[in-house]
Amino acid sequence: MRVRFWGVRGSIPAPGPETNRYGGNTSCVSVHTASGELIIIDMGTGLLSLGNSLLPTEFGKGAGKATILLSHAHWDHIQGLGFFAPVFIPGNQFVLWGHAKSSSLLEGILEGQMNPNFSPLYTLRNLGATVDVRAVIPGEPFEAAGVRITGRPNPHGSTTALAFRIDEGDRSFVYASDVGYAPGGPSPEVLELYRGASALLHDCTYTPEHQEKRRNRGFSSYEDAADAAARAGVGRLIMFHYDQDYADTDVDALHASCRAALDARGGQAIELTAAAEGLELEI
Amino acid sequence: MKVRFWGVRGSLPVPGRLTNRYGGNTSCVEVRPRGDWPIIIDAGTGIRRLGKSMMESAFGDGRGTAHVLISHTHWDHIQGLPFFSPFYQQGNRVHVFARQRHDTHLQAVFASQTEDPYFPVPLSALRAEIEFHELVEGSQFEIGRAKVTCTRLNHPWIAMAYRIDVDGAAIVYCSDTAPFSDVLLEHEFIRTPPQVGGVLDPAVAEKLASMRAGLVAMCRGADLLIYDTQFTPEEYRARPHWGHSTPDDAIHVAREAGVKTLCLYHHAPTRTDEQQDVILHATQELCRTAGEPFEVIAAYEGLELALGDEEGA
Repeated sequence: MRVRFWGVRGSIPAPGPETNRYGGNTSCVSVHTASGELIIIDMGTGLLSLGNSLLPTEFGKGAGKATILLSHAHWDHIQGLGFFAPVFIPGNQFVLWGHAKSSSLLEGILEGQMNPNFSPLYTLRNLGATVDVRAVIPGEPFEAAGVRITGRPNPHGSTTALAFRIDEGDRSFVYASDVGYAPGGPSPEVLELYRGASALLHDCTYTPEHQEKRRNRGFSSYEDAADAAARAGVGRLIMFHYDQDYADTDVDALHASCRAALDARGGQAIELTAAAEGLELEI
Repeated sequence: MKVRFWGVRGSLPVPGRLTNRYGGNTSCVEVRPRGDWPIIIDAGTGIRRLGKSMMESAFGDGRGTAHVLISHTHWDHIQGLPFFSPFYQQGNRVHVFARQRHDTHLQAVFASQTEDPYFPVPLSALRAEIEFHELVEGSQFEIGRAKVTCTRLNHPWIAMAYRIDVDGAAIVYCSDTAPFSDVLLEHEFIRTPPQVGGVLDPAVAEKLASMRAGLVAMCRGADLLIYDTQFTPEEYRARPHWGHSTPDDAIHVAREAGVKTLCLYHHAPTRTDEQQDVILHATQELCRTAGEPFEVIAAYEGLELALGDEEGA
């Protein structure tokens, strides 16, 4: 499968020359499966560019189908939906999986961002495409886009965010953004979800020093990410969801520190990639 | 007074190389009367950096007072509020002004922006004292020495334009609005674009004409008119019901109101710096050829203008 990053920033888009290299758009990742299906993970502002890139394909003709995985409904993970061109083209079909007690509750949450107080779209009903909203049952694998997907909640401040594992053949990709572990790191169930993944994309918002000051916000430092990767024995760690105040040079430093943290934990064999807008990886 | 632009973009923040010069942050303008607290117009993502800069002053010690005028609560005009540092410092006072809703108190609208599950920090947890003030069209009030007036615009769910008079100068902030010619935008979702140049129901035409007359009157003699010019004429013809104007629409209002400088603002998210340059130069050329007495500029992040008593200071 092929993974591409459209938005790698946390919390709020951070435009400006100092974020040109890694990018300032909020969370959005696409996964093209080996069989050619499209999975979109999170709908931050990066979704605008992903949507425009899909217009020359069947999505431009109203014949596109994609699976959307939503880690949680904080604004920086849903803001792009109203700017995703394919969702306005009748005939396109999206199945959106996220975390809520029921699919209708999840749909209500998405409706909330279309509320006319906030958006000229008024309601999801005004999107031309169909968006079929489904609630993920934690730990219970489901079939979508021809692959097996499993979601498990991670602690994220006062709420939770789903981590997703996508398995296709002998390859696996885990997306674990927006996570602030309790002392001791990932739960046994979550560690199991990460176990042996070909690639683990992990929240890497902070340096440990910044995280210490802001722990109640529920994000990871590069040490948390390196810990999780080393303990789960993954093939590659992908750093993601950088703090909005970090310039490209700060992320460069984060990358170097994370490499050292991996090595210190016996993770010399783990490849390390700092996610950047436009970067594409073959898993 | 000084006027500084912190966010000039419409609809959605657009980071990236193609928008580095004009800037990718959404709507936020700071108006600073001489020697006085800032008056902030709109709270798009640009307000994040403004808030940080304010923390270098009395706001850092919880001794600051700010006034925030919100044109309307569409996301690109309020997204930055939860990232406005002065909110998190006890002792600061922030007054937020916006148009009164027919159904919901303003405070509830802003509270719902950050309630679970959309944002981790609820309004009730902010440490500054925040007071919400509901406005109706024509409201007039004073902020320190500044006189503020407002009038409504033609935009879905209705936006407000503001005029601020202080230090012997006047600025008008007019974003977001459609021209007042093809469709009346209020509380109804319009599915199909109306025909541009079509015949309007007389009652609708009258309401639009009155809205425009109110705006022109409010802009009369302003030193600076900041105007929503998100659309090219082609884009407007395709989407007249989205509630945005073209430079031509802004020119007409600027001419009739006799303003000194027209500032293009609320640039389309897809507009690159080069495309925005072309729009600016074409608009300037058009005005020069027509002998318009006002200057035309385009807003960009970091642009700072000194007006009135501040000029040359």
